[in-house]
Amino acid sequence: MQPAQKLAGTGLLSGRRRSRRIGRRKNELLSLGQIITETKDVEQKVAYVVGIDVGGTNTYGVLLNEGTVLTTAKAATDPDDLHRGTTQVLAAILKSLPQAAAEEIELHLSTTLTTNAIVEGKGLPTAAVVIPGPGLRCEDWGLNFNLFPVKGYIDHRGREQAPLDYGQLRTVLSRIKQSGYRAVAVIGKFSPRNLQHELEIEKLIAAEFPELLPVTLGHRLSGRLNFPRRITTAVLNASIAPLQAEFIRMVQEVKDRYGLSRVYLLKADGGGVDLEASRQRPIETILSGPAASMMGALALSERIENAVVVDIGGTTTEISLFYRGEPLAERDGAVIAGYATLVPALFSRSLGLGGDSVVDFDGREITIGPQREGNPVALGGPRLTPTDAVVALGAAAIGEKERAWRALEKMGAPFGLEPRELARRIVTVFAEKVAAAIDEIYSDLNRRPIYTVSQVLAAEHLKPDLIIGMGGPAGFFLPHIARQMKLSYRLLPYHEAANAIGAAASRPTVSVTLRADTALGRLVLPELDYVAKISRPFSFNLAAARREAVAGTIRYAQRMGTPVTPGEIEITEEEVFNMVRGFYTVGKQYTLTAQVKPKVQRVS
Amino acid sequence: MTQVGLVFFPAFDWAISPDHPEREERLLYTRDQIMEEGLFDLPEIMEFRPRVASVQEIAGAQICVPSVEQVATKPHLIAAGGTITAGELVLSGKTGRAFALLRPPGHHSMRIVHGARGFCTINNEAVMIEYLRRLKGGKLRCAVVDTDAHHADGTQDIYYNDPDVLHISIHQDGRTLYPGTGAVNELGGPGAYGLTLNVPLPPGSGDTELLYVIEHLVLPVLRDFQPDLIINAAGQDNHFTDPLTNMRVTAQGYARLTELLAPDIVVLQGGYSIEGALPYVNVGIILALAGLDYSGVIEPENQEFTSKQRPVREEVIRTVAYLQAVWSTREEQDLDEIFGESEYFQRQRYIYYDTDNITEFQAEAIKRCPACSGFRKVYSRAEHYHGRVTKIGAVLLPWHACLSCRRAAEEAYHQFAAEKELDHVYLLDPMSGLEETG
Repeated sequence: MQPAQKLAGTGLLSGRRRSRRIGRRKNELLSLGQIITETKDVEQKVAYVVGIDVGGTNTYGVLLNEGTVLTTAKAATDPDDLHRGTTQVLAAILKSLPQAAAEEIELHLSTTLTTNAIVEGKGLPTAAVVIPGPGLRCEDWGLNFNLFPVKGYIDHRGREQAPLDYGQLRTVLSRIKQSGYRAVAVIGKFSPRNLQHELEIEKLIAAEFPELLPVTLGHRLSGRLNFPRRITTAVLNASIAPLQAEFIRMVQEVKDRYGLSRVYLLKADGGGVDLEASRQRPIETILSGPAASMMGALALSERIENAVVVDIGGTTTEISLFYRGEPLAERDGAVIAGYATLVPALFSRSLGLGGDSVVDFDGREITIGPQREGNPVALGGPRLTPTDAVVALGAAAIGEKERAWRALEKMGAPFGLEPRELARRIVTVFAEKVAAAIDEIYSDLNRRPIYTVSQVLAAEHLKPDLIIGMGGPAGFFLPHIARQMKLSYRLLPYHEAANAIGAAASRPTVSVTLRADTALGRLVLPELDYVAKISRPFSFNLAAARREAVAGTIRYAQRMGTPVTPGEIEITEEEVFNMVRGFYTVGKQYTLTAQVKPKVQRVS
Repeated sequence: MTQVGLVFFPAFDWAISPDHPEREERLLYTRDQIMEEGLFDLPEIMEFRPRVASVQEIAGAQICVPSVEQVATKPHLIAAGGTITAGELVLSGKTGRAFALLRPPGHHSMRIVHGARGFCTINNEAVMIEYLRRLKGGKLRCAVVDTDAHHADGTQDIYYNDPDVLHISIHQDGRTLYPGTGAVNELGGPGAYGLTLNVPLPPGSGDTELLYVIEHLVLPVLRDFQPDLIINAAGQDNHFTDPLTNMRVTAQGYARLTELLAPDIVVLQGGYSIEGALPYVNVGIILALAGLDYSGVIEPENQEFTSKQRPVREEVIRTVAYLQAVWSTREEQDLDEIFGESEYFQRQRYIYYDTDNITEFQAEAIKRCPACSGFRKVYSRAEHYHGRVTKIGAVLLPWHACLSCRRAAEEAYHQFAAEKELDHVYLLDPMSGLEETG
């Protein structure tokens, strides 16, 4: 059992003022994880920031000095050795520095390492020790992991209803050891409300099965409720931890070699995490590519209100949203390769439709994508693509127009369709598909529930005022999509290194969850392993809860190697309930989320 | 696999009063349990936002005195609207089934509403049913099976004389619990005799009794009635931990009930064991609706209840046998013997509004019409606790009213309108959903 610490740093106020904030959340409509202040006065702690984005094809780098791009560099990405392209780009950039040794240099890295490992299933086989208690059966979670259920049960308030069975645990852990697992995750139902069982198991492993260390504990990764997602998050984290450790070793070498002052990795939510601190939580660095592109859009553009951002690439189109000037976050967490996690992430949906997607026509219907079979015909590729239609229409000068024209002719001829008409139709179908996907995203968001009367009455119908286009093919397709949706559009100045700029402009962030139940006299900050006794439950109030959350965030940021001041912290979610039993108020419960305000530097 | 649409509206900012069972906190632990179980991520379950019901939609089902605006607050409009959302999901085929997991509840709210009784002001399920019937031009037969521990006197009152809506209420015996009604001899009006069924269960009844009633009475009756929609008004206060009742049903019992009944739409009613019962019962119901295995949903305090298989109580077997006989002979009954031979069947009663402390006297006359189910005239006098008295006259047209009933109803309305002592006069036509007031 975690020893209950005395509540630190809480000058408990008198309980005279009753909190009237009952069940209200600060972020009412959706969990807008991010408040990005686009600002010029983000304090520059170092003179030079190198941003590097490892993309699928190329690795781009950028050198930033006080919001100005000094230089960019590019190298081919070697999928089997991500490190090589990264070092090449870094070396090229640092060479351009006038006097490298004199100033501090910070490296912000957005890499596909963890994303690829998960997508390609290259993580280690992981044993998941789960404490499900009663409820939905493990078989029905739809999780394809190696689950080892054990006895024990924590209920929704965080009370232990059934203890762990050490005999059973030892048997299970021996079996895991004998089966040769090198990665282990431990996840209990309602563990963010009571860390005890997960911590006990970790202690047992340390004492009797040390070769299974380190283990990933569910509650440390997220204080949010969702047991299957917490299992997924912890299992993926454990499975990629060894890869991350190797990666950290290599980057550390580079850091030493070039005398870099700090290295941050970009996270799925657009914030950064200190290189060393990412050892325990590599899962947070997944999907940093889409995050880099959103951060790039933020850094490079004027304030965006309610807009949909369409990033059109060769194979896919990524759709993300701005709501009231902020990038929208996923409500529950990132979804990667079909795995639903609790990893905070910017909202993004991928559409299997891009400039190089394969086009087909059966005389009645035109289909585009989702597969890509190489370059467009105009560039010597095998199959007709939307890019060829654009080239044939004379709207872009890419490769040989004549080739594109012939391919269109060949496809249309059996059905008596002229090349020009076919090209037009392909462009229309492309625009229609993107527009339909955007419509679906918005209607899905608008059916998302809200839980209080005031929210229902104030419920806004989310809709975009503007379409913002990014990516090579956007220039041509965007006007068509905008016409389709009857919206105005804006094209971001095309910048090859936009993602690298996004990585460079981002800032480190952390977030913590606080749960205080005054009837149980207990306060928990799961991400910090922090449990405290509330010594004076009747005078613990919302102000005290906020102070604890802020203090916890400061401690946590410190531990993560990115110290902050109280002014940099904001409370993003807040829920207070009176607990009434019989006819008496027996206590209150508080659930708060605090985070370091995410920031992005404006880049010109 | 069945797709289940979940309209979850816990009204986290609304309470009847701070320490009332119907308070902010009621569905908090249920939400936590649903979230932690990850139910919203299951492909079988889709969550929907409730809409706000319009004043006209409420007025199409109930007569609120003096007006909908003055009786129903915003939370009521959202709860009714959310129930309509659930109904629309099923009727449009968007989801196979739907669960309106919301509050405030509605089943004690009657046709005429002077205020709140039994924590209910607006009858969510009736508002939905009337809305859906209008969508279908009146061609929709519904069955409401109310499994709350309290007699569903409100819904019964609304459908008392409606041949297209079967109403079955299973509840703790009225002699031992609010509202006191719901005896086996309450069987419906002359236009819908036998389509109101009441199954009072003795205190202490559990899963065995409840499931016995479902299997031996409710399912055969539903097979006969052939409704287009089965609606389960799902109260969760039969639970062994409920503080207001004396029953012994478990989460497993509720889930099995849901599986057997296979309702199209489930609408939450009462249930005030907010920590010990609701989180588990609701998860059980959702899983059962989705056709998922619910055998693992067991509440912490439930050790003795699941292991103990008691035989069904003799009393319950007798009640079921009696009602089976009523059901199978309902069409052979001589209605003149039951309702008298005069042109109108008349009854008088007192209705107590416990929540708002109002006493209502009602005198009602139902036209015995061979061509339709007959229009109703209601005189209602409500005395509020501070002495204010409101008197109203209401004329209710049935669905598919015949021409002569329409004419007679018009005439009755004008007669009421001419009476000076009445404060308000109403005419409700369910087909148009229009309420005329004067």
